[in-house]
Amino acid sequence: MQRKRILLVEDDPDDEALTLRALKRSHILNEVIVAHDGAEALAMLIGDGAEPPTMTELPEVVLLDLKLPKVDGLEVLRRIRANERTKLLPVVILTSSDEQRDLTEGYSLGCNSYVRKPVDFVHFAEAVLQLQMYWLVLNKSAVNWQA
Amino acid sequence: LTHPGDLDADLAYHGKMLSGEIPTYSLEKRYLRKDASVVWVNLTAAMVRTAAGDPEYFVSVVEDIGARKQAEEEVQQLNAELEQRVLDRTAQLEAANSELEAFSYSVSHDLRTPLRIVDGFSQALLEDHAAELSEQGCNHLRRVRNGVQRMAQLIDDLLKLSRISRAEMTVGNLNLSRLAESVVAELRAAEPERDVEVVIQPGLKAQGDERLMRVVLTNLVGNAWKFTSKRDDARIECGKLPDAEQAPDGAPQFATFYVRDNGAGFDMAYASKLFGAFQRLHSSKDFGGTGIGLATVKRIITRHGGSVWAEGEEGKGATIYFKLQSGGV
Repeated sequence: MQRKRILLVEDDPDDEALTLRALKRSHILNEVIVAHDGAEALAMLIGDGAEPPTMTELPEVVLLDLKLPKVDGLEVLRRIRANERTKLLPVVILTSSDEQRDLTEGYSLGCNSYVRKPVDFVHFAEAVLQLQMYWLVLNKSAVNWQA
Repeated sequence: LTHPGDLDADLAYHGKMLSGEIPTYSLEKRYLRKDASVVWVNLTAAMVRTAAGDPEYFVSVVEDIGARKQAEEEVQQLNAELEQRVLDRTAQLEAANSELEAFSYSVSHDLRTPLRIVDGFSQALLEDHAAELSEQGCNHLRRVRNGVQRMAQLIDDLLKLSRISRAEMTVGNLNLSRLAESVVAELRAAEPERDVEVVIQPGLKAQGDERLMRVVLTNLVGNAWKFTSKRDDARIECGKLPDAEQAPDGAPQFATFYVRDNGAGFDMAYASKLFGAFQRLHSSKDFGGTGIGLATVKRIITRHGGSVWAEGEEGKGATIYFKLQSGGV
């Protein structure tokens, strides 16, 4: 069975370590690729200027933090949706805040889901497990479609 | 001598009266004194005619209205100043509001992240290294995690409080009795083992924002529910005081509502502390909570133009009163 891929966009190394720890708990086969800022994520998915995208195959889902250096999360989302290759890519915003303007802006730009990271790690791990179950197993993505 | 600026108007009236078109006229006009200073007067003139109807003479009353005119000008100037002050204050408030918004945005994003890290790695230690830690070490870590959860709760409560201050209000007719009943139903569903007698006066009508007033009642009735938890004969009462006086015509009519319980109560000496953010009069061992409930209530009621106060006695119970515009329908 092919490993399903997740793109995690996260700049904080501690946060990255905890998210990876949570992702590894499940027995779902998956491969996690990490982009450490918005520009890196865009280079992987869309390409940087004339450079082609470095990810030849799109991930099953993008877990996107909002507060990122250089290009912030909402801008990454905007460009993903504006690009022909990635416009149907499932994007889940996974961030600290649930400020109304982030939610409104996120959904307006076409995120597929918005999850606020719980402070309690046990709850966070539970949320990550549900995300994996849903986006890697249950959900059918329109990208990478195979008959 | 008539001020040149008023000459035409005066002469026009004069001509109309002479021709019989109008019997009298009244005009606010300016005269020039000998020293060329201006005096405002109210001129009332009438035509007296002969029996045959021919003009005979005028009767004119000239009233000095300088003082009135000056007062009018002062009022106009005061109004202009007042408008400017309102504009200035509004600009200041908007600046303060957007600062508050930027602040809570940052709290929401930045303050929770390090807490998640502290909690996550404490939990990682407990999961991966429990064998290397003594029982006391594990306990310390659990305390760290408890502290983190409390801090997280405080941050969330602070954010809630600031959102209440910024929330848009839509004021309409409300049935407070029904709101209170639904809050009680939620509390009963959450703690079916509790036996609490709840008496809600029917038909309590007020003017308010439904969402915010639900928050008020959730806090007040929720507090009453919480602080009666150590009593077997717990009783909560929601009602309205008899109207003290009729508001003058046009002024909004306010009514005083209350939520009363026979729970833990409080010492009246600390009554002023009750509505401050994060002020608690009971130890968290006895009753949980961060102390944000009554601060929230006060903010909401104040935004409605009302007021809120409390009466209580230690061990006997507490009553929270709030004044709101009473419902028209």
